Amino acid sequence: MLKMTHLSKVYRTEVVETYALRDFNIDVKEGEFVAVTGPSGSGKTTFLTIAGLLETFTGGEYHLDGVEVSNLNDNARSKIRNEKIGFIFQAFNLIPDLNVYDNVEVPLRYRGMKALERKQRIMDALERVGLASRAKHYPAELSGGQQQRVAIARALAGSPRLLLADEPTGNLDTQMARGVMELLEEIHREGATIVMVTHDPELATRAQRNVHVIDGQVVDLAEDPRFHQQQARAGAPA
Amino acid sequence: MFAYYFQLGLRSLRKNPLLTALMVMAIGFGVAASMTTYSVFRATSNNPIPQKSSQLFVPQIDNWGPEDAQQNQGEPPRAMSYTDAIGLMRDHKAKRQTALYPAGLSIVPADASQLPFRENTYGVYADAFPMFDIPFKYGRGWTQADDDAHAQVAVIGQQLNEKLFRGENSVGREINLDGRSYRIVGVMDHWDPQPLFFDAVNTGGFDDPTQLFVPFTRMIELKVSTNGNNNCNKDPGTGWDNWLHSECVWLGFWAELPSKAEADAYRSYLNGYAAEQQRAGRFKWAPNTRLRNVVEWLDYQKVVPPEAKISLLVALGFLVICLVNTIGLLLAKFMRRSSEIGVRRALGASRREIYTQFLIEASAVGLAGGLLGLLLTGVGVYGISLIFDPQVARLAKLDVPLVLLTLLVAILATVIAAFYPTWRAAQVQPAWQLKSN
Amino acid sequence: MLQIKPILAALKRHKAGTILIAMQIALTLAIVCNALFIIQQRVDRLSRPTGMDENNVLAIQNRWVSVDGKDTAPLIKADVQALRQTPGVQDAFATNSFPLRGGGWSTGVNLVPKNEGKSTAQTTLYFVDDHALAVYGAQLIAGRNFTADEVITADPKDIKSTAQVIVTKALADKLYPKGDALGKQLYLGGKDIPPSTIIGIVARLQVPWNGTWSDNFNDNAMLLPVQLTSNYTIYLIRAKPGQLADVVNSAPAALLKTSRMRVISGDRAVRTYEQVRGDAYKNDRGMAILMGVICVILLAITAAGIVGLTSFWVGQRRKQIGVRRALGATKRDILSYFLTENLMIGVAGVVIGVGLAIGMNLWMVSQFEMARLSIVYVVVGVVALLLLGQAAVLAPAMRAAKVPPVEATRSV
Repeated sequence: MLKMTHLSKVYRTEVVETYALRDFNIDVKEGEFVAVTGPSGSGKTTFLTIAGLLETFTGGEYHLDGVEVSNLNDNARSKIRNEKIGFIFQAFNLIPDLNVYDNVEVPLRYRGMKALERKQRIMDALERVGLASRAKHYPAELSGGQQQRVAIARALAGSPRLLLADEPTGNLDTQMARGVMELLEEIHREGATIVMVTHDPELATRAQRNVHVIDGQVVDLAEDPRFHQQQARAGAPA
Repeated sequence: MFAYYFQLGLRSLRKNPLLTALMVMAIGFGVAASMTTYSVFRATSNNPIPQKSSQLFVPQIDNWGPEDAQQNQGEPPRAMSYTDAIGLMRDHKAKRQTALYPAGLSIVPADASQLPFRENTYGVYADAFPMFDIPFKYGRGWTQADDDAHAQVAVIGQQLNEKLFRGENSVGREINLDGRSYRIVGVMDHWDPQPLFFDAVNTGGFDDPTQLFVPFTRMIELKVSTNGNNNCNKDPGTGWDNWLHSECVWLGFWAELPSKAEADAYRSYLNGYAAEQQRAGRFKWAPNTRLRNVVEWLDYQKVVPPEAKISLLVALGFLVICLVNTIGLLLAKFMRRSSEIGVRRALGASRREIYTQFLIEASAVGLAGGLLGLLLTGVGVYGISLIFDPQVARLAKLDVPLVLLTLLVAILATVIAAFYPTWRAAQVQPAWQLKSN
Repeated sequence: MLQIKPILAALKRHKAGTILIAMQIALTLAIVCNALFIIQQRVDRLSRPTGMDENNVLAIQNRWVSVDGKDTAPLIKADVQALRQTPGVQDAFATNSFPLRGGGWSTGVNLVPKNEGKSTAQTTLYFVDDHALAVYGAQLIAGRNFTADEVITADPKDIKSTAQVIVTKALADKLYPKGDALGKQLYLGGKDIPPSTIIGIVARLQVPWNGTWSDNFNDNAMLLPVQLTSNYTIYLIRAKPGQLADVVNSAPAALLKTSRMRVISGDRAVRTYEQVRGDAYKNDRGMAILMGVICVILLAITAAGIVGLTSFWVGQRRKQIGVRRALGATKRDILSYFLTENLMIGVAGVVIGVGLAIGMNLWMVSQFEMARLSIVYVVVGVVALLLLGQAAVLAPAMRAAKVPPVEATRSV
């Protein structure tokens, strides 16, 4: 489903070259729920932006749903984002000028879908996240958890092959965070492929598989001494 | 605090030079367009003799009848026939009065090597000088006795005195007009009422300063015809005498009536005069007369050129658009800084202080716009001669009041335009922007 | 791709900016329509033909000094003689006025003797001699010119009519709509004034005035074969091709040589016809230029306002543009979003603006004797402003389209 091999991403300024990702390898299978963890600045967010075709990469290969994406132009990348990927952001990123219904509609509009089908899908998606009654509300009138549910509805409405979530609970309190996680798990059980970036190890454990990123590389947790230290610390009584 | 806010304003304006330049230019152009056209409007709608404008009156008498008056909204002719002017002079019902007309005379210099030339010349009665408050440098106007004697005397203007006598006191000397010698009794000081109210009919209100006055009675005796308009409703017949006693209108007439009571009395006198003409069979219609003071007369004569009104109107619309534009740009500018406002509010700035800060910033924009506007107004005033007659264009000046008005309008307009954006800025909640977006 | 509904929803949340742009467009449209209309009217006016061959014509205004009007006949005769013999002069004649001079005679013309009331036609009178047609360069389309014998000498206060007249086609058609005016009679006064016979018709000759009051008889002119004895004489001179510049100096000099007791001074004493035309239409041309300048600045300021406010919106919405891109919007989608948004505001603006434009015109009609606004100007103004809006929004919209999708993941 999502396969990166020897992928690298370099940020160049006039004086320095910074490797955000180097020799990055990952293979996410269809139907998997993968959590990408790592300390801040490790490159996990860069990975997500490249995975979501929000940014280009410098070297290596990236196959998404069997398609090599490095040579696609901007329009083709937009089309893939629109049809195959659903995004869930830490800051929800709802459009404040639009109400809930119109927000969920945004990706469907760009797909050029018929009005009737759009309406059907929007209501289905809102139903699914339990916010059908709030369709006419504006984002500012909703709680953080509700906003994130709207964002999830927006991601689901287009029936994407791949859901990318970036710290989906980062801006939420514990109770709201739990609700959002349960929703993601439910979506996964229904067959969606989910890649979630988080720095929260507890959250990561709820995924099927964990991938750890340090200094722009995927590390094998079993062999990395840092993993043992961390495990030890995590295991220690607080 | 003012200095602090002013400094903040300047810094913020420097931060967005393009937006600032846009605003300054919008205000500058808007103000300049309005002020340029206003300078013309001000000159043409000026009260030429404010101290007496409510005491000097133009009487009108309908000697043509309803059929002609109908084509003129029922108004009597704008000028007077010789018959009526002499009748009013003879009755002498006002404190002072004069009939007048532009006389077609030429000045023949004593120096035979110089060519004859013409200046604006009017035939008037002796009363005209005190009536119109005409200032004298040397000598004075002639007397009623001179009028009665049809004396060959003249009052000349300062410029003409300069030209003929090198500015010396020329009272008592002679001036040759069309081959006849006139004795100079007075030299006027600078006298250039604008609009030229006493002969708005022939000049449209604007002409070079009058340089020569000669007795009306002498001009008639010499059969000097008018240099202005002559309108006849029917054939006056052949020759000077027939024309003089015809119903052709070609004379101006002014009466000085210092109080309302006198004006009212004169009004009824005019009606009485017209009724008498009706009884005598000369008028076959009911009296139809008017009595207008200087301001009413100039308004009726429409001395303000339609160009001046239209362009003032368009320029005002222009200013409004520039202000709408400024409101939009200020809104953009202020709202872009909502995070700054939130922080300031969080740090204890009251709404009032936010208001002050942003209004002062707007005033700075207004001041800059005003200065640009001033420059452009200068250019505009210079370019006025493009549109208006030189006689009108020469009156439009960039003087101190106009400079002050330009700056005031610019700042005031900008501050008014800033009210809404400032209000919006002051609505920003404290620290709201510090939280995530 | 149309996104009208969501754009409307978004605009509702930005009422102030939307209203400001719409208002600016509306006011600009109102003023630009009327300004264009004024320009067109003035240009129409100043492109009216005089009926003359205006090149190489010179006008001199002369006033006699110390001469009684009735004694001027031999002096004028000598002047005309001197002018015709001046090198470079092709022909010359003395008259009372000429097209666009600004002042002249006008009178009513009738098919029957009539002294009072409304006349069949209004016309200007030009008192000329047999050389006039040659100097005007006017085109005689029917009949004949005056002969030298027909030219009489008369005082302006005594002359009531002449036996022969030449009229313009406009006047002939007004008097005799069937087109058979040649040889027919007309009356310039009551029963005591003898009728005149139309002996010739010229294609066109304008009246001396260019104000609105003479618009309804702009081309009604009548030539009478009279040498006026008057203190005040105008000489109209045709120079030989290419010699006008010399004649401007030599003609007044020739006049002063015959007699010095005259005044030829002031701005308007000696004017080439080019200057005459320039003086006559100074206000019209100036007004047209002023309105043109105002239109250009106004459109520029409105465009600048749109650029400014849209740039602000783009800056404010960078994040949501990024989100849209992340959700699959192409660059074109973003570009068309802003273009559509502007178009909608523009349409609202022009709808109001059309009302304002018509209202403003109606008000000016009532105040300044102006004509009704033609719908063409409204349409031109509407199209121009909508295009202007689209052009102005293009740069900020392109900047918006360049916002990278990764902007969605950045926190502000």
